[in-house]
Amino acid sequence: MSNLIEGFLGKSVEGKKSRIPAKLDYWQSATGLFLALFMWGHMFFVSSILVSKDFMYSVTKMFEGVSFIDGGNPFIVSVAVAIVLTIIIIHAVLGMRKFPANYRQYRAFRTHMKMMEHEDTTLWFIQAFTGFAMFFLASAHLFIMLTKPETIGPFGSADRMITDWMWPIYLLLLLAVEFHGSIGLYRLSVKWGWFEGSDAKVTRANLKKVKWAITAFFLILGLTTLAAYMKIGLEHRDHAGQRFQPTAMIIQHANSIIYSKNQNIDMNTETPFRALVARNFSGIHFQGKGV
Amino acid sequence: MGRMITIKALKYNPNSKVSRAHFAEYQLEETDGMTLFVALSKIREELDHDLSFDFVCRAGICGSCGMMVNGTPKLACRTLTRDYENGVIQLMPMPAFKLIKDLSVNTGEWMEGMSKRVESWVHTNEVPDFTKLEKPIDPQVAEDTFELDRCVECGICVAACGTKLMRPDFVGAVGLNRVARFRMDPHDNRTDEDFYELIGDDDGIFGCMSLLACEDNCPKHLPLQSKIAYMRRKLVALR
Amino acid sequence: MNVVYCDALVIGGGLAGLRAAVEARSKGLSTIVLSLIPVKRSHSAAAQGGMQASLGNSKMARGDNEDIHFADTVKGSDWGCDQEVARMFVTTAPKAIRQLAGWGVPWTRITKGPREVVMNAKRTTITEDDETHGYIQSRDFGGTKKWRTCFTSDATGHTMLYAVANEAIKRDIDIRDRKEAVSLIVENRQCYGAIVRDLVTGELEAYVSKGTLIATGGYGRIYKQTTNAVVCEGTGAAIVLETGIGELGNMEAVQFHPTPIVPSGILLTEGCRGDGGILRDVDGHRFMPDYEPEKKELASRDVVSRRMMEHIRNGKGVHSPYGDHLWLDISILGREHIEKNLRDVQEICMTFNGIDPADEGPKGWAPVLPMQHYSMGGIRTKPTGESSTLKGVFSCGEAACWDLHGFNRLGGNSVSETVVSGMIVGDYFAQHCLDTEIDINTKTIENALETEENYLKSLLEKDGKNNIFDIKLAMKDIMWDKVAIFRDGKNLAEAVDELEELYKKSLDVSVQSKTMAGNPELEEAYRVPKMLKLALCVAVGARDRTESRGAHYREDYLKRDDANWLKRTLTTWKEGDTLPTVTYEDLDIMKMEMPPAFRGYGVKGMIIENELSAKRQEEVDKIREEMEAAGKDRIEIQTALMDFPLQPYYKAKNERFGE
Repeated sequence: MSNLIEGFLGKSVEGKKSRIPAKLDYWQSATGLFLALFMWGHMFFVSSILVSKDFMYSVTKMFEGVSFIDGGNPFIVSVAVAIVLTIIIIHAVLGMRKFPANYRQYRAFRTHMKMMEHEDTTLWFIQAFTGFAMFFLASAHLFIMLTKPETIGPFGSADRMITDWMWPIYLLLLLAVEFHGSIGLYRLSVKWGWFEGSDAKVTRANLKKVKWAITAFFLILGLTTLAAYMKIGLEHRDHAGQRFQPTAMIIQHANSIIYSKNQNIDMNTETPFRALVARNFSGIHFQGKGV
Repeated sequence: MGRMITIKALKYNPNSKVSRAHFAEYQLEETDGMTLFVALSKIREELDHDLSFDFVCRAGICGSCGMMVNGTPKLACRTLTRDYENGVIQLMPMPAFKLIKDLSVNTGEWMEGMSKRVESWVHTNEVPDFTKLEKPIDPQVAEDTFELDRCVECGICVAACGTKLMRPDFVGAVGLNRVARFRMDPHDNRTDEDFYELIGDDDGIFGCMSLLACEDNCPKHLPLQSKIAYMRRKLVALR
Repeated sequence: MNVVYCDALVIGGGLAGLRAAVEARSKGLSTIVLSLIPVKRSHSAAAQGGMQASLGNSKMARGDNEDIHFADTVKGSDWGCDQEVARMFVTTAPKAIRQLAGWGVPWTRITKGPREVVMNAKRTTITEDDETHGYIQSRDFGGTKKWRTCFTSDATGHTMLYAVANEAIKRDIDIRDRKEAVSLIVENRQCYGAIVRDLVTGELEAYVSKGTLIATGGYGRIYKQTTNAVVCEGTGAAIVLETGIGELGNMEAVQFHPTPIVPSGILLTEGCRGDGGILRDVDGHRFMPDYEPEKKELASRDVVSRRMMEHIRNGKGVHSPYGDHLWLDISILGREHIEKNLRDVQEICMTFNGIDPADEGPKGWAPVLPMQHYSMGGIRTKPTGESSTLKGVFSCGEAACWDLHGFNRLGGNSVSETVVSGMIVGDYFAQHCLDTEIDINTKTIENALETEENYLKSLLEKDGKNNIFDIKLAMKDIMWDKVAIFRDGKNLAEAVDELEELYKKSLDVSVQSKTMAGNPELEEAYRVPKMLKLALCVAVGARDRTESRGAHYREDYLKRDDANWLKRTLTTWKEGDTLPTVTYEDLDIMKMEMPPAFRGYGVKGMIIENELSAKRQEEVDKIREEMEAAGKDRIEIQTALMDFPLQPYYKAKNERFGE
């Protein structure tokens, strides 16, 4: 009954305010912080393509748990994706509390923002806008990752860009993520008074510089990475759907042909390669045999 | 002979059925060290007897004359016309407050409501005997309390706040700073639990979106960012 | 008919009005405060330097007590004050400050151990005792024997006003701002409240109350050059004058502050000089010691202001497009001190003049010139604060001539007076409201409302010859040119004639906008004639007072004339007249605790003695001698010399260190 009364009165039977708003504010920040840091890591992993296709492939396999499951299992990625998606939904629900709820609010804010030209106010609008955009952009991406984790790879991901026509979405998502994330981290710092030191004003000016540096860094990294995938996607267009074979495996494969001439391995079947790669990763044959 | 400046002021009387909002333009000669107080007084004396605006101390102490100067909320009495290079200054009343007429808004009513809402007074059960020595206070604590007590309720933080403009019930930086001020004051016996009851919701500290236009425009340079962050940490930590 | 009833009506929401309202509300009265502006914007907030109260906590304040504060106040007033009132005041001031501390005023506190100060342009070290650590600190101000001025950095008035306003809000006092009292409801020499104009809607309302307290501040804005806020037009005193019954006292007693900044007229606090700042002339020479070897920059305000003007007349002023001025140098106090204790001063200099006063050498000097600052005169009251002639009207703060300040007020005594008189007068006022039952005919209220309504309508309808803004500016010029720091018979007579002429003109104006609401010109049209009446009271009082006393300085009568002029000027205004009626009220030397003598600063030998002064002095000395011999303490002796009325809780002995 007390829930009914509390919901009706807006305060507890003892006349106290709910602690929920504090928790909501806290969790909005906590989920935001997690997602921002997660996206840093994500960006680094995705950009492994800039090193080499093999490296990216290895990173992918790592997330499939290759070090403790023989051959790895993409289901692990699905689970991770599900967790992240849940956190995003929580963050979105909490963040929505701050959005303009109707046209009056929207117009009041826009007029104010344009009239005052105050940087942090404008940044908030960008943050809210990109957050809103990500409801859709990130959902599209995550749904694919959730359902087809096994397609992640140097060719699979690249084909997704070009052949599956996803690059426009990824371009927008990249912009949204980097702006939203870096502004969000800056805002978290000033909101909770992190790194404040003796002079909050100086700290804030520095934080702002760091924020822009981070935005610039990740945007450049992200755009380059996207370009790399697109380039691969274009080159690989005619073989779309074909999976990547790590260089080491090709060598292994060649060796296996040499050592067991009777065996005929179909290049297009997936499973044997997995096993081979797994062995390669365990360090037995990875290097050594020159071509 | 100073240069000619142009002042565009929004004229509108919401209490009149015939009044239509428009910008009135006034040209006048700039004098040495001219403030908007000097300029507007001159306009009223010589160019438009009907222009309404509020000034009291004209020295940046009383907080009466907040208005939007080229889009930014400022104390008009401390705004020098020479700082506007092209000599054109657009004046509008502060948003977020009830418009009385032209550049005059009702900050007083809002601030009294805010004071009541955050119970802006010392809460104590002690009734000190005023014939006896006063209670000693650590000099640094007294100074820190004073630092937050310097707020003049000019309303600039409120007018600068995008959150407040979207959500009329938001308590504003002035209210949050006031709570921080009494939390600092050793004469006040309230606990964080008590302060939570005043500002612990989405119209209070958890509604703040950290846009920081309050901090950036406060004419008294109050440490609003730090104090709001501090109160947020304290109130979130409550069980 | 729009009528509001209450027990206690307070007009004016500055420190004095709010403090009195708190007193009335605490006694259970329904209390309404009316104010032109939001109360926290009142001019009380602009008091920077501090509040005098003889706490005697700090090293330089040790040994201070009510007696020394009393003596400083009486000397400061040039024996023009009411000594009973001065006693009431000094006895209550320490209680006021301690009460305010409990209400949250963050008084600057003493830090134990050594600290560096500047005294007489030299750095000196003062070591504070351990036992006083954390107690209220005080600073030096002009005209005081001890360091008695308690402060919160340089925003003392602001912090006090907020504390008292917050207490008023806490007690649910009905505060209504943007309301202007335009006349009093009077019948049979008794006041029943006020007719009030709403400044937003333009509507008139009648406020009917058992008692009406007026605390509307001073009338500085009748002068061209003034430190006062734009609302300090004295209209509260004017509505009392306009009843034809209420008296105004000593209106010619107007104080000029030595250090407003040029040209804006914004005050740089006395704390600048109190903390060790000095005055320099065109050559950079510190000239005050030449004139006042003992107190130098810290002689009373009237003396310093006159010496400055004298020095300018001697050709030592600094030329500028705004006329000659002198320099105030606080850079010698050091940047740290300025940025901590004189921060508002620094901000004012930077904002309005582009000067950083902490910069050493001439580039940090601020241009200053004496300007009108304080109105000692006002609504004449008894020591209880009730009007001497109009029943049911009380007044306190700067609006009143309670007569604490006589002909010159000491720095730090006015902020102090606001709260102290708010306590004392507020208490008497509340008692009056409790004891009084009023019986008023609604016809009386209706008539009062109609009179005002018709008057305002006539102002809008009238197609007069004159522009009210021109008249206002002309009045300010006359007052500044002829009724300011230096006065003489010829100029004063001219001023009276010119002001009278202006007053007549002010009755024949035309107002361009014809709306009742939101019409600033209409407001000027009914305020300026009121201001002119006050200006005439000042000018006539000054013309007729053929002596120099305190801030009233006649170049044709240089001496203080105790033989003929130890009296208070009283002015009233008969309806339809164009000049005030002047009468006088004698000060009784034989009842004084401190008979007239030399002030200890200013020029010596400039007194026309009253023979009673010496006689009373003899009496006083004798009583003191006998009682001291009999082992009586200072309070018993004081009571024997001059007993004074005061509520017992305010009269109680104040505790101090070492006493």
